[in-house]
Amino acid sequence: MPEGASESSLFSASPEPALNGGRCRACGYVFFPPQWYGCESCGAPAEQLEPKSLRGEGTLASFATVHLYQGKDIEAPFTVGVIVLDDGPAIRAILAQRTDEGLRIGDRMRAVVVAVDGEGGRANELRFAKQETVR
Amino acid sequence: MKKTLREMRPVYVVGIGLHRYQRLSETPYVALGLTAVREALRDAGIEWRSVESAYTGTALIGMAAGRPMLRHLGATGIAMAQVENASASGSTAVRQACLDVASGLTDVSLAVGVDKPAPLALASAKTNIRDLVGRRVVPFTHFALLANEYMNRYGATAEQVASVAVKNNRNGANNPYAQRQRAVTLEEVLAGSPISGALTRLQCCPIGEGAAAVIVASDDAITKLGITRSRAVRVTASVSRSERVYHGAKNFDAELTRETVAQAYDEARISPDDLDVVELHDAFTIEELLYVEAMGLCGEGEGARMITSGEADIGGRCAISASGGLLAMGHPIGPTGVGQVAEITRQLRGEAGVRQQPDARVGLAHMVGVGAVCVVHVLQKDA
Ligand SMILES: [Zn+2]
Repeated sequence: MPEGASESSLFSASPEPALNGGRCRACGYVFFPPQWYGCESCGAPAEQLEPKSLRGEGTLASFATVHLYQGKDIEAPFTVGVIVLDDGPAIRAILAQRTDEGLRIGDRMRAVVVAVDGEGGRANELRFAKQETVR
Repeated sequence: MKKTLREMRPVYVVGIGLHRYQRLSETPYVALGLTAVREALRDAGIEWRSVESAYTGTALIGMAAGRPMLRHLGATGIAMAQVENASASGSTAVRQACLDVASGLTDVSLAVGVDKPAPLALASAKTNIRDLVGRRVVPFTHFALLANEYMNRYGATAEQVASVAVKNNRNGANNPYAQRQRAVTLEEVLAGSPISGALTRLQCCPIGEGAAAVIVASDDAITKLGITRSRAVRVTASVSRSERVYHGAKNFDAELTRETVAQAYDEARISPDDLDVVELHDAFTIEELLYVEAMGLCGEGEGARMITSGEADIGGRCAISASGGLLAMGHPIGPTGVGQVAEITRQLRGEAGVRQQPDARVGLAHMVGVGAVCVVHVLQKDA
């Protein structure tokens, strides 16, 4: 399996890029990545967990440019960000820009679908970009 | 009724031993472990046949590592088990040995940590839960992200974060068991190869091989075996916790440490002001700043100031990572938490030589393991 976010189970590309998260009906806990084993917050079983689409918009909480990476699925340097989604969860994502140039904590971020060439051919990944750089 | 460790039978560290932490070599793990255990037996002045249970902290060697090593001390038939708890494997082995003695199941127990670098096989990769980053985010990037957030929140500089490595390598330079035994300058730390975010090579701990052993005993054993009582150091708290869901908190690692250490203070009946020596999980420089704050050794956002002011130096208010910490002594995984307890014991005995924190009487050992888990021990002289 590729290491990136190319599995469509994690996101939907249209109409707008959105993350496939989950929500606990028992306690209201919203989470990403999705899982159907049981609620980490209250312990409710799988039957209480439901899919919840999370809008691909949020605020940058931190970022780091990775200079050392041995995998073949992405070339260093690349930049990882923590994004607090407007819909709740804080998630980690690869950023659309390779380096941290011009990035500031607090920047508004937006999910973008990026086609990348990997070992298994071309695949779509969900990354995040500063909002003004999208369109 | 529930009891804390301190309310059970008193437990004392009576013997410590190590094999130097070092880069991967041809030396079998058996030889590494036996070196540490034999040194600990000599240090305690007891024979192997007096040891009644043995816990081997190891994460990377493979199934059933204990007996193929320990049988060479004489196969006495004692209880043996391996303890795997990620980076806290050794700390958890110490805890199990302490619990055996405290409960009265044994009078003398051994915790030995031993490991050699090997490919990781994390169980979390087998949960079928995937995220957007996968293996692209490894621990150094996890902590680089926390460093970025910390520096932004408190206005801490890259120099302040890097200064942790300068202090800990200075300490490690005086530790014959340390993997890195060379003092480094701030310029050298900052100029090192960039790894992730603000973290350069010397701000990340070396993962090598090694071994550490700790023998714990009861009052009865100290009397019966003629162990030197003045060198015994009491374990007054042993706390093991795991991460909860911290709604709204930005830094789960700091929260986990905060609540684990708070419980340890409570059980040992001490406050952060009582601490003279602390060995903490400084796998990356930023962690030391986060954890001294979470431990209440300074206020929120004051970690950088505490480290650069000399308060955390040997001879300062509370010596942090006097052994060199994970950054300089090294982090061979299984041995690390056991080695911390060995260092605290050496300090509280007043036997740490040039690394000695003056008048050290109370010490704390802290490890975090990926997952995340946190294990903390408090040791006290004449408690
Ligand atoms: Zn729930």
